[in-house]
Amino acid sequence: MNFKGTLPTLILEALAQEPSHGYRIAQKIKERSEGVLDFKEGTLYPALHKLENDGMVESYESVENGRARRHYRISRAGRGMLAKDRVEWLALSQAVTTILGEA
Amino acid sequence: MSGLESWLKEATRHLAIDSIAQVRREIGEHYESAREAAMANGRSAEEADRIAVTALGDAKAANCQYRQVLLTSAEARMLREGKWEARSICSRPWLKWMIVAVPVVLVEAAATVYFHGKVEVARDLLFAGIGMSPLFAALLLPINTPARGRVFRYGKWVAMTLAFVLLLGPEALKWSWLLISCIWLIGQTEWTRASIRRKLPVSAWPRHLYL
Repeated sequence: MNFKGTLPTLILEALAQEPSHGYRIAQKIKERSEGVLDFKEGTLYPALHKLENDGMVESYESVENGRARRHYRISRAGRGMLAKDRVEWLALSQAVTTILGEA
Repeated sequence: MSGLESWLKEATRHLAIDSIAQVRREIGEHYESAREAAMANGRSAEEADRIAVTALGDAKAANCQYRQVLLTSAEARMLREGKWEARSICSRPWLKWMIVAVPVVLVEAAATVYFHGKVEVARDLLFAGIGMSPLFAALLLPINTPARGRVFRYGKWVAMTLAFVLLLGPEALKWSWLLISCIWLIGQTEWTRASIRRKLPVSAWPRHLYL
């Protein structure tokens, strides 16, 4: 399913649960959407970099299973953005559901 | 060349060396995790490789997105050259003061020429001095926040356009092709700088990026 434009919000939501590395973020989004939101994983990192440049997430090095990996965590600004996006999305989806329900 | 290597080659096209290293590292980590997960599900090594690369998607699309958030080779070059220029000027106080003196000398020359009765030349020199003053004054002004930088950039363009219009007077429209062809290069530089500003956190901006 095409969900262009919502990937940053989904990343923030995944990171709001716990800090994570890129691969786990991608798997979390796919699992939580029960496979409906299947995106190309190569596009995840540009979105993560954009969020980092905007101060929505922070990255740090961490060792996992003996391997150094870059982990990401949501920032305070990111939590604010996520709350705002959630409200907007609920309003939008409700409006679309209402219209489609009328048809 | 392996599937991952050709994917990385395409995805990192035209990126700066540091950006390439970053992409290679993060995609390498991702690929390893995806490969391990596929092998844990009973896939063969070849199959796991193929699944991991396929999951990354179109390398060209990834390259397009990477170029919007990471420095390209052209941007990295501009950043390096800008730093070199700033260092060259700041490490030579006489050069810095000489540059700052240019608009002052032009205004003084305008006054001298005016008293010798050449009003037209004096006017041109005065307008040139006024037009150039914001550019050279940048060396002395405390432009160290994004907001101040924005104000300075607006002021710079207004001063340059105003000086051009005042210099050419009623013929400004006729000579606008000259302005456009001169501004083309400056505009391109400004565009690249704006792109770098979007990609770098403010704390990493060198002084010349504010201007």
